[in-house]
Amino acid sequence: MRTFTHINAHTVNEACELLGQYRGKARLNAGGTDLLAMLKGDIWPEYPEAVINVKTIPGLDSITENDNVLKIGALALLSDVAKSPTIKEKCGVLAKAALSVGSPLIRNVATIGGNLCQAPRCWYYRYPRRLGGPLPCLRKGTGPCLAVKGDNRYHAILEGKGCFAVCTSDIAVALAALDAKITIAGPKGERSISVVDFFQPLGNTLKIDEMIKDFQIPATMLSMEQRFLKFTLRKPIDFAIVSVAASIGLNNGVCTDARIILGAVAPMPFRAKAAEEKIVGQPISDNVAAEAAEKALANAKPLSMNAYKVEIAKTLVRRAIKGSTAGLGE
Amino acid sequence: MIDSYRYIGKETPRRDGAEVVTGSAEYVDDIRFTNLLYGEVLRSPHPHARIKQIEKSKAEVLGGVEAILTWENVPDWKFGTPTIFRILDRKVRFVGDAVAIIAARTKDIAREAARLIEVEYEVLPPVFDMEAAMKPGAPQLYEELPGNKLPLYAPVLGPKSLTEIVMGDVEKGFAEADVIAEGTFGYENIPNPLPPEPPSAVALWQEPNKVTVWVSNQQVWLNRKILSEIFGDNVEVRAIGGPCGGSYGSKVMSWQVQCYAAALSKATGKPVKVCFSKEEHLAAFVLRPETRIHARVGMKKDGTVTAISGKWLLGTGYYSMTTQAQLSVGAGEAQIAVRCANWDVKPTIVCTNRNASGIVRGFGGQELKCALIPLLSLAMEKADLDPFEVLKKNYLKPGDGYYWRDGNWYSYRGVDYTKAMEKGAQTFGWKAKWKGWLKPTALNGTKRTGVGVGIHGNADIGEDVSEAYVRLDPEGRAVIYSSVTEHGTGQRSNCIKVVAEVLQLPLEAVSITPSDTLITPVEWGPAGSRGTYAILSAAIAAAEDAKQKLLQFTAPLLGVGMGDLETEDGFIWVKNRPDNRITWKDALELRTVLGHGRFNPDYSFANCMMSFVEVEVDTETGKVTLLRVVNATDVGQIIDPPGIRGQLNGCLGTAGIDSALFEETVLDRATGCVLNANMIDYKWRTFSELPPIDNVIMETPFPSHRFGAVGIGEVATSPGPSAVLMATSNAIGVWLHEYPVTPQRVLEALGKVGSK
Amino acid sequence: MEVKVNEQTRKKSEEDKHISLVINGNQYSLEVGYGSYQVKPSDTLAYTLRETLGLTGTKVSCDDGACGSCTVLMSSKAVPSCMILTVECAGKDITTIEGLGDPKTGTLDPLQQSFVDHTAFQCGFCTPGMIMSAKALLNENPHPTEEEIKEALSGNFCRCISHYQVLEAVLAASEKDGGDND
Repeated sequence: MRTFTHINAHTVNEACELLGQYRGKARLNAGGTDLLAMLKGDIWPEYPEAVINVKTIPGLDSITENDNVLKIGALALLSDVAKSPTIKEKCGVLAKAALSVGSPLIRNVATIGGNLCQAPRCWYYRYPRRLGGPLPCLRKGTGPCLAVKGDNRYHAILEGKGCFAVCTSDIAVALAALDAKITIAGPKGERSISVVDFFQPLGNTLKIDEMIKDFQIPATMLSMEQRFLKFTLRKPIDFAIVSVAASIGLNNGVCTDARIILGAVAPMPFRAKAAEEKIVGQPISDNVAAEAAEKALANAKPLSMNAYKVEIAKTLVRRAIKGSTAGLGE
Repeated sequence: MIDSYRYIGKETPRRDGAEVVTGSAEYVDDIRFTNLLYGEVLRSPHPHARIKQIEKSKAEVLGGVEAILTWENVPDWKFGTPTIFRILDRKVRFVGDAVAIIAARTKDIAREAARLIEVEYEVLPPVFDMEAAMKPGAPQLYEELPGNKLPLYAPVLGPKSLTEIVMGDVEKGFAEADVIAEGTFGYENIPNPLPPEPPSAVALWQEPNKVTVWVSNQQVWLNRKILSEIFGDNVEVRAIGGPCGGSYGSKVMSWQVQCYAAALSKATGKPVKVCFSKEEHLAAFVLRPETRIHARVGMKKDGTVTAISGKWLLGTGYYSMTTQAQLSVGAGEAQIAVRCANWDVKPTIVCTNRNASGIVRGFGGQELKCALIPLLSLAMEKADLDPFEVLKKNYLKPGDGYYWRDGNWYSYRGVDYTKAMEKGAQTFGWKAKWKGWLKPTALNGTKRTGVGVGIHGNADIGEDVSEAYVRLDPEGRAVIYSSVTEHGTGQRSNCIKVVAEVLQLPLEAVSITPSDTLITPVEWGPAGSRGTYAILSAAIAAAEDAKQKLLQFTAPLLGVGMGDLETEDGFIWVKNRPDNRITWKDALELRTVLGHGRFNPDYSFANCMMSFVEVEVDTETGKVTLLRVVNATDVGQIIDPPGIRGQLNGCLGTAGIDSALFEETVLDRATGCVLNANMIDYKWRTFSELPPIDNVIMETPFPSHRFGAVGIGEVATSPGPSAVLMATSNAIGVWLHEYPVTPQRVLEALGKVGSK
Repeated sequence: MEVKVNEQTRKKSEEDKHISLVINGNQYSLEVGYGSYQVKPSDTLAYTLRETLGLTGTKVSCDDGACGSCTVLMSSKAVPSCMILTVECAGKDITTIEGLGDPKTGTLDPLQQSFVDHTAFQCGFCTPGMIMSAKALLNENPHPTEEEIKEALSGNFCRCISHYQVLEAVLAASEKDGGDND
């Protein structure tokens, strides 16, 4: 790995200030499992000047519940999120999503905030320098998206515009299904934004001098049925080919409220509003679930090699609505 | 099975166990050197280009850089088949091809230097598809290889190596057939054997003509031979092996890695280490050859195969070292698996702009089986025959023969495998699970299960030469001189076991030298399952020779003939008079005894493994899950029970069964890049997904060596992939023609998504 | 273009010049810098262990956090040492494969001994990482089920397929020893 200046930040303010001073040429390091992979691959047009360690900021890894809000610090480890009794009880979708990431080794160092901010999982974007890379692409500011004419088996089937890399953050999908808010700290103080709004087609809304501080999950969501399904070739290690997180309010078998979020199908977590609308007010049945799944993927525009993802996504939406988890590693 | 052995067939701990579990086993990258430099390779971004200019001045002035070599100043070392492939060339032929090699004081400096080298290319059109490469007007990779076709002859196998399967009269055979099937199957996913330890070497060149190479390799003497051919016989090559962190065949092709280190050492006078990164390992080292076969198969209603004719296309990537030999062995193995009087299978080996194919366990035969067994299956389907019965019927039987890799005909002297196959079928429950072609074994909601069976065998279990010395020391100890390294099969421990058995010594009293060609006699090394028959035969013979010399020397001392003497635990006594005994020390005083053993090639035995698999297909997602595996074989005599179990369980990994399920190297046909050159995107089996495996191992003694054993490890990966293709096709009711059986392919076959 | 950072920041980056940490019970104080025996900011823990401290029992295979060969214990948790910066290990307590067993007497940790007894390896390259992952599990859960062992080892790559024998070795070690041998 090429070297860089390394700085331990001790407060959120200090971290943001440092980011500001480096004007985009510094990277925050939380768990490091994605950042170090990017640095080793040496794939960014500009190699960072500095790495700012945020693990030295105390208190950012706490999981607390008060005033009807569950608050999770950005540096909470995925292994802690996965086994926190509060999270398991109140928002199982998040615990399951956390448990589905990587491997126990990864979860022991990777953080919830880091998972949300992971670089896109695109094998063109990540193609390493050592093998003749990096490859210029739309996401890096030069040229077209290479997936369009290339091997796009894992790329976007929905909402691809220019760049077809997908967001594979399992945490993002689960938090979006929980309607979580993100507290973002910056030089001018803090702001709050919903997880769905946090993402943008080519990244996220974080400014160069901002960082995620914590996540807040409203209590209203905690009483809903929660489901997380992730389709991969293998249970550990793999990133999602398709994932679905759903919060479904039920009253005597009738759906009263729903949030259905798909992961790894679009550049951002994809909220399947059409599917939600289809099921709200309906008793959950095979037919309703199947119709909702069709609606969810109605606008899918698969690329040359990924039409199969549409079928898998429909299956997952259907199974999430029906509560069936057969064979999906849950 | 003889149960009177002291060690053979018994569980004994691996000799290197303590080193392995404490981390003190020294793999190449663990060895410490003084003044060591680190080698790095600058690699091409283009699949096909001519190098116009290399500007290395910026890199040369970087502190700590000691040498930068390019095609202009590197020794003109060449190897391969034919011998036309340079270590650095003026042309690059795949994305990741070596452009420059750098030696520097640290890895980081070497990499930084690589970043600073500027290369100007004249980009040439690439070709990735085998058939496209042979068409007129296709880009030409080498002037010497018109049409991108390689000569089929494999000099390493002798003057008339097998280059095709042609015998009998196929037209007559088809006329006799009750059914004729025709089709195309491909095993084109070029999986990577992917040992955990990357290809690595350290070289120290001492002018004028000595080079020592520390290698990660199971065939150290062969390595010496290869490097001697490259450097010329006037250069004295010493190869030193240690523990090898997996090879599965592939690391025998480490000559480039070793030549980079040697060239950089020659240029700097210091030892140079080159360890590939995992990306390089995945994108610039050995893959399986790709295979595509279009063939016709004639079959009678009783399962007799009357004729096979077709074209066998083998892709080798940008160069070949052993693809011709893999063709030869594969062609021999086809006859072992299918008794058929009439063959006309003509192979072609093609170069394309991707990284190279080469040695992987299954050596040509697995690649061929992955297409040949499905083709036979099409005929079985037409004749409505059970594949287990047909494969059993058609496998080599005692008295049958085959043209082997050297072009000669051999009559099989081994055992009949029918019983092992039947026991395997019984263990698997084949009869109950087989429901007919393209019929699932069971339906469970949206899921279906299916079964398949495959077979493979190899007559290389007695390939090539082995030699060993056994030295007897007065203190009642023995030392084996052998260049065998430990690469996972327990081969070194097994050498100790047989020598201890022959000499009746405690295991602790037998040791084995480091693997160093300066010390040890010639040894082809473990390959093609030859370890048990060939390597152990040499060790046994050396121990027997030493024992005979010891007894010969002692006989006059005890006043008897040597035939009257016995030895055990360092004592020698007169038979039936155990009181009349002396120690080795009493007999030898200050003297050692050296025995020599040699094994010469014997191609009259073939091993056999049949694999049964059951898979479950989720028809909604296309996901295929392996539910169960049963392997069946007969090895004559088990040497080491946990060792053979490990080898047979190896059927899943190393581009074996899993190459039918999810393993593949993803070559982007648009850019030529290997897109999944990391261990997240390259799929491998994890602890979370372990199907039950039953290994049925019979022990019908072979007339091989005194323990009646033959090897099996190499072929463990080979029967499974075609069995998975068969099982998945049966589960979904449609033939799949390509590997692996991805959700995409399954959903396409089911008609749920349009094909690309 | 060189980034201009203020003086205070420059000072800050110099501030943590020494990394104190415990490895296998021994206290180390590593200097941050670019000299031969110093730790560069970009050095991974795996690199420092192997190249700076000579603890080569920790193996590096994928160098990408995906294979588990480089697993060590950090504050008793199994972690991929190739994805951790050494400069971020201040105050940590680390155990490597060299820290198991007793090198003076040559006595192996019961888990290591169980790997030998069950021939729970073939090429052996992944074994140290495998043992460290299993060790972390047994420390936390002395009597795991087979499923729990599989889960704990799910990030450890073994290409020879010794998984079945590893499971037996870990199960046997947990039955014999309870895993609380520290």
